[in-house]
Amino acid sequence: MEILLTVAIFLPLLWAGVISIIRNEWIAKGGAVAVSAVVFLISLVLFLNFDFSKEGFQFLTRVEWIPTLGISYQIGVDGMAISLILMTALLFLAVFIWSWRIEDRPVLYTALFLMLETACLGVFSALDFFLFYIFWEGMLIPMYFIIGFWGHDRKVYAANKFFIYTFFGSLFLLLGLASVIVYGYFQSGSITFDYLEHARMGYPLWLQTLAFLLFGIGFAVKIPMFPVHTWLPDAHVEAPTAGSVILAGVLLKMGTYGFVRYSLPMFPEASEYFVPLIFTLSVIAVIYAAMMAIAQNHIKRLIAYSSISHMGIVTLGTFALEHDALNGAVYMMIAHGLSSGALFFAAGFIYDRIHSYEMNNLGGLARYLPNFAIAFMIAGLAGIGLPGLAGFVAEFLVLLGTFKAHPVWAFIAGTGMILGAGYFLYMYKRTMLDEELVPEERRRKWSQLRDLEPHHILPFAMILTVAFILGIYPKPFVDIMSHTARLVLGG
Amino acid sequence: MNWNALLPELILSAGILVIFFLELILKEKYYKTLSLLGFITVVASAFSIFYVHYPATTLLGGFTVSGFSLLAKFILLAVTGLVLISSYDFFSNKDSVYSEIPYLYLIALLGFMFMLSSGNLAIIFVGLELASITMYILVGLLRREYLSKEGAYKYLVIGTAGTSMYVLGSALIYGSTGSLAVKSLGSKDPIFAFGVLFLIFALALKVSAVPFHFWTPDAYEGAPTPTTSFLATVPKIAFYFLLVKLTLYLFSALPSWKIIVAVVAIASMFYGNFMAYAQRSVKRLLAYSSIAHAGYFVLALTSVDLLLMSALLFYVVVYAVATLGAFTVLSVLEKKEGWSHHFLDFKGLFREHPYLSSALALFLFALIGIPPMAVFVGKLSIFMGLVKNDLLIFAIAFAVASIISAGYYLKVIVYMFLHPRERAMAPARVSAGESFTLMLTGVLILLLGIFPGFLMDWIRFTLFHE
Repeated sequence: MEILLTVAIFLPLLWAGVISIIRNEWIAKGGAVAVSAVVFLISLVLFLNFDFSKEGFQFLTRVEWIPTLGISYQIGVDGMAISLILMTALLFLAVFIWSWRIEDRPVLYTALFLMLETACLGVFSALDFFLFYIFWEGMLIPMYFIIGFWGHDRKVYAANKFFIYTFFGSLFLLLGLASVIVYGYFQSGSITFDYLEHARMGYPLWLQTLAFLLFGIGFAVKIPMFPVHTWLPDAHVEAPTAGSVILAGVLLKMGTYGFVRYSLPMFPEASEYFVPLIFTLSVIAVIYAAMMAIAQNHIKRLIAYSSISHMGIVTLGTFALEHDALNGAVYMMIAHGLSSGALFFAAGFIYDRIHSYEMNNLGGLARYLPNFAIAFMIAGLAGIGLPGLAGFVAEFLVLLGTFKAHPVWAFIAGTGMILGAGYFLYMYKRTMLDEELVPEERRRKWSQLRDLEPHHILPFAMILTVAFILGIYPKPFVDIMSHTARLVLGG
Repeated sequence: MNWNALLPELILSAGILVIFFLELILKEKYYKTLSLLGFITVVASAFSIFYVHYPATTLLGGFTVSGFSLLAKFILLAVTGLVLISSYDFFSNKDSVYSEIPYLYLIALLGFMFMLSSGNLAIIFVGLELASITMYILVGLLRREYLSKEGAYKYLVIGTAGTSMYVLGSALIYGSTGSLAVKSLGSKDPIFAFGVLFLIFALALKVSAVPFHFWTPDAYEGAPTPTTSFLATVPKIAFYFLLVKLTLYLFSALPSWKIIVAVVAIASMFYGNFMAYAQRSVKRLLAYSSIAHAGYFVLALTSVDLLLMSALLFYVVVYAVATLGAFTVLSVLEKKEGWSHHFLDFKGLFREHPYLSSALALFLFALIGIPPMAVFVGKLSIFMGLVKNDLLIFAIAFAVASIISAGYYLKVIVYMFLHPRERAMAPARVSAGESFTLMLTGVLILLLGIFPGFLMDWIRFTLFHE
């Protein structure tokens, strides 16, 4: 069973290597769908075999790698990691199906996404700092080229901005890792990159503070938290559809995952100390980003700001240091991954058909694209937290948990969610409804449009089904996530 | 007379003589054949290393063979072989071709191999001079180009100053201790201190550390690009193997050696990295990057710690692999009509040469120190080694300098991939030798990054038994 995790991580990379030699478009695409389906099945098997009543990490694999530096190949998952892995595998499968029709350099495109899949799965399962950092950085280069090659008009600017921000962040992360490893060396006399050993070590407060800030900057850029969020709207606006889906669905979760996996258990006192700071930034992100979203005219920019707002809720829930809130934060990572993925698919579909993201150029599409209108609606409602869909459970848990400990903060953040309903419904109105405001000749053009094709329906169906399941019967998932909460907060 | 100990050098010398005489008859027309002959010599010499029995001493104690020096020689031979086989097409394409080139590379290599197999300052000097003089010639080979002449002249003048410092240093050491052996006992004599100081300066000059770096950018830029890749790799490896030995036995006898070395190192790191930002030629940029790297390497010599030193040697070797790859890409590109290594030439290169520019990006990413490329492991082990020796300040300076360096490498990558192509040029043909070198260096840089243990253990084992 343990070996399956390793297989799931490296299978995409292996296939990327194979297709870069074969270089046949259809073998590459078909194989990528097959590989990602296999990865999804493996992660499903792991998920079903995960015993959430047992404490600690499961499916642990440990192989000595560079013994002189105390580096080992060590992977394993807890409740949060296995859920994120399952979601990652699902989104990549959806992305490969969606990209069936891509024509511009398809082999390179597929290979880059496969490399990205390996890096993402690796980040969520690595339990060794060195391994973690390799996967963390390994995500950077494929994403850079995905934005830079297949993006829209200002792709170079967006790709560079993305690269500079995240690279800058990961340098801080590297310094943070170095600081705890150096401390560990002075403490025990041997170098170790083993996360499990470091989590047990217990650092003094000064080091916790320092390392929390260094790690925190690295993670905050990735999430992104206010005020280092400005790269995200640009990256999303310019990225191709599939790139946006992965960026919003998976990459942003790496930052919050990092907070839960590294910052909370390794620096518990510093985490408590920085709660007011994180709360302030989170609440600013929730409300400010939601207001920014209302002001947008560009669909993707709007969804990007809504992502920032939702990630603010995740950080809020993470640092409430309370069981329910942490469960909710992890739930929100999954729920937001699904809903923002579906929303970016929807935006991409609109662009495919009408070649514009500007709401001024849209309107009244619901009559001509009925199936799409339904999918778009469900995706959006999942995002704004309608009961019965995944987002609701997440927001409810976060607010419930935060309210127990910090009622005022919970109240302020709650207002942000009302704004969330506002911006989505406003966008839906201006793109899909408002038919009477659309000029006649544009309506004539609309009537030529083709509705969803099979390679669009399948991704939507997969993602939205999971969103429904998570919303209607959340208990098993909450159980699995509270596995992490027990691990991190004790009890 | 123990001939077996001299086996690699003998084979190499025989090869050099054969190529020398053949060249008199065959001339330029058979340049490619002569290069291949040189490559075969190198391969034969590298193989013969496995048949040398060590430890051994010969030539009246002046020539010693140990596992450490054999390892160094093997790496030097491998790198020179790659330089040689990737160079022939470049020189055939230039109108001023000299068929002496193959054996000049080999003579320089022979010099370094001699330099590394002696514990005697005088014999080290002989090897050093043999290599240095050959390299002056190699830099100045493009007789019709001003830059090449200028570079060679600067290299000659400054290099000779270094040589004389070396001689003066060893003379002072001899005067004070009565011995030229590297493993001398040291002395409290100020004359001895001066001697060591001159040696440090001379070698700092040879590895182009600040403030003795002035020849580097010009020599690197002016030299024919395959020679630049030789200059940036083979001497580096050789000098660091030598420096490790000298630091162990000689420099550490001088109490203040740490401070001098640290000042030189930190100055080189920051000077090299900041100056690299100001460059408009990628070839010159890599020259400044090598100055910065000289700083990183020398920094690891601030402490007599075998672990740190073996980390240093690992880093030097993988740095050499990455640099060799990068310069090989440049030398392929230089075959294009009107190519000048200026940043503007690199604009949108990906459209014209997807494979070459991806390879260059790989090597530059490696030089930044992005995992999983091998240089990251090198940087990490130096960093941890410095920390272990309570040199936390140096470790932090090293980390900061490495971070600063990321920007200029990225600039090249951005120009290649994300800018539109402005000047269309006829694509360059990649010769078999060049593609072999590129493949091998590319695979090595990844392989050594993912499985560094093999080479590291080898270096450590031989160093501990030195």
